[in-house]
Amino acid sequence: MADVEMRKQDEKKEEEKKEENKTPPPPPTPLAEIKANVALIDKAVSTLEPRFTHRVLRSLTALRKRTDVTVLRNAVEDIYPKESATKKSLLSWLPGSSDSAASMDIDPKPTTLEPVPEVEIYLRLLTTYILLSSSEGYAKALQLAKETGEKISQLNRRSMDPIAAKVWYAVDRAYELGGDLADARPLLLSAQRTASLRHDDESQAALINCLLRNYIHYSLFDQADKLVSKTTFPTSASNGQFARYHYYLGRIKVVQLNYSEAHRNLQQAIRRAPQPRTAPGFYQAVHKFFIVVELLMGDIPDRSLFRHPVLEKALIAYFDIVKAVRTGSLSQFQSTLSKHTSTFTLDKTYTLILRLRQNVIKTGIRRLSLSYSRISLRDICHKLHLDSEEDAEYIVGKAIRDGVIEGRIVHENGWMECAGQKGGYGPEVSDIYGRRIAFCLDLHNQSVKAMRYPLNAHRKELAAAEGAREREKELAKEIQEGELDDEDLGGDF
Amino acid sequence: MSSQPNLRALYTELIRSFTSQPCDLKKCGTLLSQLKIGLIEAGLLLPQGELNPTDLQVARDILEIGAFCSIRARDVPSFDRYFSQLQTFYTDYSSVLPPSKREYPIRGLHLIRLLTQNRIAEFHTTLESLPLSADAIAKNQFISHPVNLERWLMEGSYSKVWNAREEAPAEEYKFFVDSLMGTIRNEIASCGEAAYERLPLKDAATLLFFPNRSDLLRFAEERGWQVNLTEGTISFTKKGEEKMEIPKQKLISASLAYARELEQII
Repeated sequence: MADVEMRKQDEKKEEEKKEENKTPPPPPTPLAEIKANVALIDKAVSTLEPRFTHRVLRSLTALRKRTDVTVLRNAVEDIYPKESATKKSLLSWLPGSSDSAASMDIDPKPTTLEPVPEVEIYLRLLTTYILLSSSEGYAKALQLAKETGEKISQLNRRSMDPIAAKVWYAVDRAYELGGDLADARPLLLSAQRTASLRHDDESQAALINCLLRNYIHYSLFDQADKLVSKTTFPTSASNGQFARYHYYLGRIKVVQLNYSEAHRNLQQAIRRAPQPRTAPGFYQAVHKFFIVVELLMGDIPDRSLFRHPVLEKALIAYFDIVKAVRTGSLSQFQSTLSKHTSTFTLDKTYTLILRLRQNVIKTGIRRLSLSYSRISLRDICHKLHLDSEEDAEYIVGKAIRDGVIEGRIVHENGWMECAGQKGGYGPEVSDIYGRRIAFCLDLHNQSVKAMRYPLNAHRKELAAAEGAREREKELAKEIQEGELDDEDLGGDF
Repeated sequence: MSSQPNLRALYTELIRSFTSQPCDLKKCGTLLSQLKIGLIEAGLLLPQGELNPTDLQVARDILEIGAFCSIRARDVPSFDRYFSQLQTFYTDYSSVLPPSKREYPIRGLHLIRLLTQNRIAEFHTTLESLPLSADAIAKNQFISHPVNLERWLMEGSYSKVWNAREEAPAEEYKFFVDSLMGTIRNEIASCGEAAYERLPLKDAATLLFFPNRSDLLRFAEERGWQVNLTEGTISFTKKGEEKMEIPKQKLISASLAYARELEQII
């Protein structure tokens, strides 16, 4: 029963949201939105319901693009009481104290209450992003972000965790834009330790991702792998963080030649990523690696992938490579590779694509084995543009051993004989079937786990149960008394 | 290190005995162990924080010589230790120190070593973390040598690997050639078992790069091949044929698991 009600509520909410999105009734001014957000944060803290904070943070990206220094200044002026130390410190971070801004709030609302510290951190976060929007502000933003991080760990409030996660991301971003990402490591590592000790899942997820990004940026895959093995990624992390985490895992795994794992991780990253239109950059980056991994596994990605409006342009180079691998032509592969070298180097996929060379050869051999029942090694060498017949013999031998083709080499006659294809029935089929069933069952179990129940709903039921018990007791009492009465009466008779 | 004249003297002596022809390995070994103690005392073996660049450079030189000496003495675990100690100098102090001319030979040696032990995953991880662009890797002969070897090995162009064994860019690379040849011989043998039914002895010898027949026969015995000396052929026993067995245990346990899960849903 509770489920159904909950779902209705959710639907309603979603509908509301959709309506909001569809017909934007003159969008609230950034100032009004900040104030509304502050109210929401306040509500979140007082009701211990992190949902409201999450809602505030969801609008962060959109909001920070529309906000500027003046808006923020006014917001700070309005939110905080006149003589507040926090206000002063917040204002000191905002650049360029223009007089017009100061004169605008001649009669601020008489707010006397100091808002919760979460609000301060939220405003600091906004300030950091504003500072980061121009290159002059990087150093200052870094300083502010670091100070905010320290403040968070001093305050140690659980209601602050969602905001803290965003702050840590901002710290990392500030370091990166400042150009010295490597220096961020000690700070982030210690913050990660603190977060995991405090069971601050959201910050922990954000920090692990920041660290992984940091390591992978410098191609320190060894360290990144160690970090992954030493930490556990919190299961309650948000989808966005999970998508990032899976993306980084995939990148580590593909370097280590663990292609099937990498494929799984990247697929997860794609599934968990936000809509392609909202985050095109991430979507494209994941797909670049995804395609390369598919190729390395010997699969050919779907053609439809390259027609996707978001991906079409970004993946042109990869499309060419796929074509070359599909035809199994080494010369086409080499020419495509040299044509797009700069793109691949920029995407950091160049070394991975170099590994594809052997796959091109394998595809070529497989095509030959399908079309010929017997072919001389000289012809193979000629068709695949190999250097020598001797090489061809070794390569075919390796392909047979690796199970790429079925067949054998007859050395005396210098040809390869191909055996027919085996039927598609065997233990492998049940294996694949088992894997799919397992996936579906897992999906079902996960979705059951992911259902949300209204907070304190069971209290009502408990109260009702208590009431019922109470009534029952009374009833029993009455009956007892009634019986007594009867007896009494009987006695009288 | 300037405060320790003793170390300085040992260092110059080490360089002298290392560069002399032929290299005096025994003396290098004793000098190195003395020097390492000295480095630990000076806090330079595993440097931390800001230190004098010249001191660091000397420490790096000592470790590099140590790495080369251990390769020459065929002491691979010791090479590994030197290499991991050198990592600090190559990555963390790369902005402070002038680049070392021995850095890439040592990195290349490390790559070859990973290759000979078939640690391909680590090979690629190390390769990715090299501070070089793709072009630079192709141009740097110390690195491109192992990279090419790996590519040929993966492709199956074993004859190219065989031909490249004499083209090692540095003397030390040849120490790994023997074990590398062992690796590819085993690879070829396992390919051959799958790909051929039988093979003439003479051709088998060329395929496996054996110079004479007795080596081949010994190798065939190791792998358990049937050698027919009168016909001069080797026949490979096909294994794994007709071994289609139904994995009962697995199927039963899978079915039980499905039943259990279904029950939970209902």
